[in-house]
Amino acid sequence: MHYPIGLLFDLLASSSALPWNITVHFKSFPEKDLLHCPSKDAIEAHFMSCVKEADALKHKSQVINEMQKKDHKQLWMGLQNDRFDQFWAINRKLMEYPAEENGFRYIPFRIYQTTTERPFIQKLFRPVAADGQLHTLGDLLKEVCPSAIAPEDGEKKNQVMIHGIEPMLETPLQWLSEHLSYPDNFLHISIIPQPTD
Amino acid sequence: MEEDEFFGEKTFQHFCAEFIKHSQEIGDGWEWRTSKDCSEGYMCKIHFQIKPGMLMSPPGTSAHVQTCLPMEEALELPLDDFEKTETTTGSKVIKYEYHVLYSCSYQVPVLYFRASFLDGRPLALKDIWEGTHECYKTRLLQEPWDTITQQEHPILGQPFFVLHPCKTNEFMTPVLKNSRKINRSVNYITSWLSVVGPVVGLNLPLSYARTASQDEGNVN
Repeated sequence: MHYPIGLLFDLLASSSALPWNITVHFKSFPEKDLLHCPSKDAIEAHFMSCVKEADALKHKSQVINEMQKKDHKQLWMGLQNDRFDQFWAINRKLMEYPAEENGFRYIPFRIYQTTTERPFIQKLFRPVAADGQLHTLGDLLKEVCPSAIAPEDGEKKNQVMIHGIEPMLETPLQWLSEHLSYPDNFLHISIIPQPTD
Repeated sequence: MEEDEFFGEKTFQHFCAEFIKHSQEIGDGWEWRTSKDCSEGYMCKIHFQIKPGMLMSPPGTSAHVQTCLPMEEALELPLDDFEKTETTTGSKVIKYEYHVLYSCSYQVPVLYFRASFLDGRPLALKDIWEGTHECYKTRLLQEPWDTITQQEHPILGQPFFVLHPCKTNEFMTPVLKNSRKINRSVNYITSWLSVVGPVVGLNLPLSYARTASQDEGNVN
């Protein structure tokens, strides 16, 4: 999958101790089920495609389209070469929003569960309500994935995980989008069964 | 960009329903499919194409056999014919599958497609790039990754090729503006598909256009 490695770990192996032991196959690539990765260019294209889609949601593509090709290149190179400052010099522009608004137009997010056939849930969701209140992570889940959160008095069945941690459901979604997004500018959220220990 | 130029999922579904109605009238093979939880749907069409072979064909047979067979005809032909064709001329039958989905991120329709040989072997991206229409080839070769990429189908989860949607508004806005100016309604899906389809070998019979303008009075 073209999924970030941290997401794969949260979704499939979060209970495993690190280092994560994986098995690498060199034969019988499952062409029908997985995306092949023919070259570094393919990864760059996929990454940039995600960044562009995120900006379409946040800013109607205005910020990404105003940038020059060299800025796009800098974003990719910063990520590829693990250069924090180089990456953030460009990425910070993607995290801004007009002074008169309270946040982005829509929040780029994807919710993953291993129990469903559909690969992920992605819908339009605004960070700010009509009355100006900031929507929270809990609000998002209630709206697009209600089965993820337990009822008021019920037992907690699932963990809602981003980057290996469970943020409080009261956290404003706008804040999560600005600070906990992956480099592709998406919030990749895993819903996994509560471990029974 | 005006809010008018973007359309929502309900409008998408409405135009698809109109489009499929006409497809059924002319036997063009498009059908509507829904996701398991029925919250979303998309249009789907399968067609078979014979790709000319590389080897010399025996005398008497035509050198270039690139015909689009409607699915019924393709299935009626005895399997032997295809096998014989494969060994003598080296031409292969390719199964193309086209899906039209709605992208909520870009608020436009998106064309997903995949191609495979009859034995199930999928075509590679470079075969797809090579198979595109001549007039699109230059642009495609300059920026291949910006135009056709491989992505996960958002509902089925399997790898599909995708015609990138970020430029859709650029070419659809003038079409919509013009239709408003001359006061003639347009089926967004028909117009859009007639532009993007040919890039990947999907053609629309002209009768779709005639139907779209006749619908003028019927759009709710």
